[in-house]
Parts: sequence; structure tokens; C-alpha cells
Amino acid sequence: MKKKPVKDLDYVKLYSEKLKENNSLFKQQKILIESQLEGSRSIFKNMFFKNNFKENARKYLKDIGLLK
Amino acid sequence: MQKGYKIENKTIILNKELTQLDVFVKDFLDILKKYLDYLVVSGFVSISTGRTRGTEDIDIITPLMEKNKFKEFFLDLQRNNFWCYQGDNYEDVYEYIKELNNIRFARINEMFPNIEFIPFDKSNKIKDFEFSHPQKIKIKDFEFKIPPIEFEILYKEIILGSDKDIADALHLRTFFSDLIKEERFKEYKNIIK
Repeated sequence: MKKKPVKDLDYVKLYSEKLKENNSLFKQQKILIESQLEGSRSIFKNMFFKNNFKENARKYLKDIGLLK
Repeated sequence: MQKGYKIENKTIILNKELTQLDVFVKDFLDILKKYLDYLVVSGFVSISTGRTRGTEDIDIITPLMEKNKFKEFFLDLQRNNFWCYQGDNYEDVYEYIKELNNIRFARINEMFPNIEFIPFDKSNKIKDFEFSHPQKIKIKDFEFKIPPIEFEILYKEIILGSDKDIADALHLRTFFSDLIKEERFKEYKNIIK
């Protein structure tokens, strides 16, 4: 009998085992990756697009310590 | 139904469609390849091969570039709708490169995803090793280079070691279990430690 997944890493392993044998799971992964990208695009466009995107983005990056 | 990947002429062929993230990396590499060799490392290696998690940056290592070449590369990126977090002037941004500091590029009017562009020189033995032992990988017409799978796994387990990295390493160990050569772990461990 197969062990039931109990921890996050068990799920990672199970998914990777299935994906190795069945490429149709890549379709689900594509949806997840692209929805995350759309989400972050929309957040930052709304945050910075009022005037100058680059100027506002750099100010934000300095504030959070990602830019010196 | 097909398997997740196959091997052809030592290249890993992933049986999947390109995601928007793959296309972003492809567009950047299409420009970079004209000027310099590279290696895509870290999170994108796991995500492009099926790990189900989001990411904000794609790490690309490159040997230290001389200034004139950097100028051409930087202007080419700008012409093709990329912007650099660190500045709009190549001379200002080159100051980061020559000090081996990372810089980031994104598409115009976007902040994420971004490319973390990581220059290195020969003094960095780990980066120099992985760079000189590339593994080719292909999704449709997008071919790119990554470190040997065993090296990437060990780097995530030994050097990085966060929960996210351990999960990435487990994904690679499982997904590429037919490809992995155990003896390489011993060899690579000596380089990484």
C-alpha cells in the first residue's frame, strides 16, 4: 500500500513522481505560474503607473532595501 | 499521455508548452546570447521543469563582461523593452558589474518577473565549475543551459538550504531520478563544500 502524503515535502515528491510519468500535469502548473505573474503585474502597475513607472519603482525598491 | 521529459543528444527535452515565464526568460536570453555565454541557475531550473511555485526573479550567471560589450548588450536590452533597476545609463550600471554586484532587468512598466544578472570571475570556483559544465535543456524551440542536475540539487541542499530550496531539490531528485548519476554527487560535493 502506498504511503499517504502527510507533509509538504511528501506532496512535492508525489507531484514530481506523477509529472515524470504524465506530462499533462504541466498544464496545471502553467495555469498556476501564469496566474501568479498576472497578479504581481497588476499589483505593481496599479502602484506605480500614475506618473513615471521607473521612478516610482526605484523609489519603492530603495525603500525596501533592494536598491542602494 | 507522454512522460515529463526525454533525452536527445544529451539534451533534456521537456514535454510541455512554454509558459509566460519561459517566454520572458527566452526573450532575455535571445539578446544575451548575442554577447556572452551564460547559465540559468536556481529557482527557474526547478520551476521550468515543473515545480509548482511562483517566483519573482530568474538568476542568470555570466562571466565578467568588458565595458564596450556591456554597452552594446545594455542598449540592445533597452531597444527591446527591458529596463534596469539600477539605472538607465550603461556607464552607471557598469559600475555594479565591474564590482561583481548583481543587477536586475524587467520588462518596461513591469517589476516582476525580473532577471537577476549575476557576474562572476575565476575566483568564484563554484560558479566557474557549474558554468563550465552546462546541461542543455529544451522546451519547444527554447533551448537554454543550466548546471548539471546533481550540482543544482546539492547547491540547493548544502549552500541555500531554505525550505523552498529543499523542496526544489526534492523535486529535481524525483523528477530526474532516471537521469541522476549517484557518483556525480560525490564529485560535486567536494567542489561545493
